[in-house]
Amino acid sequence: MQCRLSPAEVAGDALASVRMIASAAAAAAGPPLYHSPLYDRHVGLGAKMADFGGWEMPIEYPDGGVLKEHAAVRQAVGIFDVSHLGKGVVRGRGARDFVNATLTNDLARIAPGQAQYTLCCDDATGGVVDDLIAYLRSDDEVFLVPNAANTAGVLRRLTAAAPAGVEVANLHRSLGVLAVQGPRSAEVLERLGLPTGHDYMSFVSSDWGGEQVIVCRSGYTGEHGYELLPHWDSTGRLWDALLAAAAPLGGRPAGLGARDTLRTEMGYPLHGQDLSLDITPVQARSGWAVGWDKPRFWGRDALVAERERGAARLLWGLAALDRGIPRPHMVVTAAAGEQAGEPVGEVTSGTFSPTLRKGIGLALLRRGVEPGAEVRIDVRGRPSTLRVVRPPFVPASTR
Amino acid sequence: MYPDDVKYTPQHEWARPHGETVRIGITAYAQEALGDIVYASLPAVGTDVTAGASIGELESTKTWSDVYAPVSGRIVAVNDALDAQPELLNSDPYGDGWIAEVEPAEAGGLDQLLDAEQYRQLVETER
Repeated sequence: MQCRLSPAEVAGDALASVRMIASAAAAAAGPPLYHSPLYDRHVGLGAKMADFGGWEMPIEYPDGGVLKEHAAVRQAVGIFDVSHLGKGVVRGRGARDFVNATLTNDLARIAPGQAQYTLCCDDATGGVVDDLIAYLRSDDEVFLVPNAANTAGVLRRLTAAAPAGVEVANLHRSLGVLAVQGPRSAEVLERLGLPTGHDYMSFVSSDWGGEQVIVCRSGYTGEHGYELLPHWDSTGRLWDALLAAAAPLGGRPAGLGARDTLRTEMGYPLHGQDLSLDITPVQARSGWAVGWDKPRFWGRDALVAERERGAARLLWGLAALDRGIPRPHMVVTAAAGEQAGEPVGEVTSGTFSPTLRKGIGLALLRRGVEPGAEVRIDVRGRPSTLRVVRPPFVPASTR
Repeated sequence: MYPDDVKYTPQHEWARPHGETVRIGITAYAQEALGDIVYASLPAVGTDVTAGASIGELESTKTWSDVYAPVSGRIVAVNDALDAQPELLNSDPYGDGWIAEVEPAEAGGLDQLLDAEQYRQLVETER
């Protein structure tokens, strides 16, 4: 047996499920990896660990595995440690207006106590620096959760642009993040006395045993779920309580391997694969997260122009019609017509869908290749046929 | 983890005498490294194989791996159960998750392979 990693995994943003290669890569990379406040607990559970944006995080747990952990989230509940996610705050007089003049989505669409998915784009090119969640606390405070690897970059751009009186602070290691996801997630929180009844994409601050926990109705799985932000030092205690409450409900700890198969079934993009500095929100069909009517946001000129002329390529879903599994960077070719055999795009994410029991993926495809079309990939010498589809692959039940 | 009734390859296959043939599979360490295996592409019965050459491929949710023949010879049986239940490779790699049976081309092929202690040391080094 010789394990091989797909190019995306070699690039390091990976769910490298192969421990020997992950540990070799970690040893070869210079700076030490950051640890979540739950690191000792993961190691104690025997989790397979790997580098996620500079953080050594659990991929899967020994009694679980991607398939079992995925199924627990779809059918019961899974508890994820996502403390590697960045945390930052923009505060001071006019903080909301400042964020609204930089990030793409329109904060006028939400009220204090609500959160929104938004993008930080490069002002010149419109390429995506990061996708993140913005929590609107008040006119003078916006809390941000960027991706681990992009946190410093996003906060640096905001700091450089912030007007006098607006401060940008990095809270990466001040708060933990735990995601409780699945149809029984509310029951888990109820057992801890945490609030559950608020709307999708809204958050409340709650007292849990004398400690503050922010409870947001959000997630990256497509299920009804919550993302909890406790203080760094109380994250372990909260994790223990959540696991104890979830176990009798069929819940289990879930790693970032299952998180990736769950988000791929929803067609949610992952920065570093489906979004990047070379991919714009127009190409990624993320225009719904752009406040087009706003007078200013980073990348506005480039993105408005691209939207008007039409993007040269668009992000669509691929569903295998045979036993092929698309993997990042595979070339997509036309299956029929005049262009048969010609390259029409590239796979950006791909995996086996545990729910559908077949290969699925996301791909940037040349304009004109539309849902319904059949395309091909080469799976290590074997041709595989897939259908272009509009995600999600599995219906979402977030609300 | 390292049963001593089988011999091992450095590529994490095992081989065990099975009557006149040699039954082969992947080790517990290999299945753990791959994660949940979802497809097994196996050779056809009657295929001639060479020790060290690829005879098939296993694909998991996030990665894949070639499977190499531990000994040279002819494939005389494959574990058809893996088609519907590839998870047997994870749950019982030395038993119901066997991959194929090879009729060895020559005697003594197994003697070239690692014993349990040698293989254990190899895995400890890789970890």
